[in-house]
Amino acid sequence: MASAAKRLDTVPGTPAPQIAFDGATLVLGGKTIIENLSLGVQPGEFLCIVGASGCGKTTALRLAAGLYQPTSGRVNFDGQPMRAPRREIAIVFQDYGKALLPWRTAAGNVSLALEAAGMPSAERPARIEELLRTVGLPGHAGKYPSEMSGGMQQRLQIARCLAQEPKTLLMDEPFGALDAMTRQGLQDEVLSLMAASGATVIFVTHDLDEAIYLGDRVIGLLPHPGRIGIELAVNLPRPRDQLSTREHPEFLRLRRQLFDFIKATEQ
Amino acid sequence: MNRAAILWRVASFAVAASFVGLWQLIANLKLVSPVFLPGPDRAWAALVRGFSSGDLWSKLAGTLEHMAYGWLLASIAGIAIGAIIGSSRTMRTYVAPSLEFLRPLPVSAIIPVAIAMLGLTQAMALFVISFGAIWPIMLATIHGFAAVEPRLYEVARSLQMSRLAVIFKIALPSASPDILAGMRLSLTVALILSVVCEILAGLDGLGHWVLLSARAFRSADLFAGVILLGVTGYVTSVAMSLAEHKLLAWQAAQR
Ligand SMILES: Nc1ncnc2c1ncn2[C@@H]1O[C@H](COP(=O)(O)OP(=O)(O)OP(=O)(O)O)[C@@H](O)[C@H]1O
Ligand SMILES: [Mg+2]
Repeated sequence: MASAAKRLDTVPGTPAPQIAFDGATLVLGGKTIIENLSLGVQPGEFLCIVGASGCGKTTALRLAAGLYQPTSGRVNFDGQPMRAPRREIAIVFQDYGKALLPWRTAAGNVSLALEAAGMPSAERPARIEELLRTVGLPGHAGKYPSEMSGGMQQRLQIARCLAQEPKTLLMDEPFGALDAMTRQGLQDEVLSLMAASGATVIFVTHDLDEAIYLGDRVIGLLPHPGRIGIELAVNLPRPRDQLSTREHPEFLRLRRQLFDFIKATEQ
Repeated sequence: MNRAAILWRVASFAVAASFVGLWQLIANLKLVSPVFLPGPDRAWAALVRGFSSGDLWSKLAGTLEHMAYGWLLASIAGIAIGAIIGSSRTMRTYVAPSLEFLRPLPVSAIIPVAIAMLGLTQAMALFVISFGAIWPIMLATIHGFAAVEPRLYEVARSLQMSRLAVIFKIALPSASPDILAGMRLSLTVALILSVVCEILAGLDGLGHWVLLSARAFRSADLFAGVILLGVTGYVTSVAMSLAEHKLLAWQAAQR
């Protein structure tokens, strides 16, 4: 298992990774949270990260976002060290309720990203409408977040992230707080949105099925300190389908493998 | 308006009316000498007389002016200083204790200092009024800025928003319910201090009017002034509440 980390570093013949963890270690409050993490994420790849609670998934994502700086090692974006968060990397937070501006309407919240990008105010309304339509919120432009359901708020957060026109989208258990039906709908929407935009995605989840359903690759983290324990390539045909993909023998095989891994880490 | 609200309103009018009735009764029975206590009839007559002669208008304008300038200065300075202190944890830890020491200091204690430095002038009044009115605003702003959801700052960082944009688009709106509540409290403080300054420094205003009326035993005029001050306090505070309601419409949706 320890060799898994090394294998990821350089695979001959593959393009340069968009996000590259290179021996990244993060110490917070005297505790090593992430240790010697090496991982390359290819442009356009959909990478899922799973692991037991508290194993460092969120922390790894925050390193990729530039919200944390590694204590040692490097985190590179497009070959350059990540010194601070940047607009090309959008983050969808799990707690959508806290990540939206309650005093701005849905349109206003999307507008925040367009304003930050310096888009002239005359061009914003059309773009906002387009983005809200893309995430399935047409006709809700004038609503405040508090007037929307959880699923709608998370859609709104995704719309704001899309407004950043990110090269990389980081998602931290984005659907964790949603009911199963809303969740499956949003999974499919994210898949088609990402297929259309070609963005790279790192997607953190507790849900093993969700990880396999969405990802090109699934990485399982080991806790204390956080490090890579398992890496699985997901060779399932795209576009994925909620029924047939989940019944695919390969899906079941991967699910079994991940399940055993998580089981073992919890002991 | 629903029935209960109408009933409450009727009841509160009834209470106010019986209060005026009682006042009239006491005055008519001369339980208190008319030299000191005019009835509502005489107070009303004095009010009408004052306004028709134009005297009360100019006094009212004077008080409103003192109050408005002092309050506006306090608001601008209070929000600016509060924002600086509130948005930095180190500032909060170092400055907060001194604020706790200064806050309970009665403003009356600094009036002699202000008079000694600035004399019996408009500048002194402006200083005293804004010094008194700044506290609720500044403390509310500090609290509001300190309580901004940290997640929103991370959103701002990932959008690479400028410092100014973060203040105006995130911190200020987030703190606005606190700030507006502080500004409403300060409105009353500003009115009280306007009257005090007018009395002490003889500046044109209702405070001065009340003082002169009292000295000349013109109790009806005195009461007219007091009533007008009460109305001023009430009207400004209602106006402020309406403004709050309008500015914080997004909060209504939240509840
Ligand atoms: N700022 C911090 N200072 C000290 N320790 C921290 C800090 N942030 C996180 N940790 C610790 O690091 C570990 C990993 O945290 P992290 O939030 O990354 O886990 P996670 O895998 O996202 O968990 P969950 O599935 O519950 O979201 C935890 O043990 C946590 O207590
Ligand atoms: Mg987490």
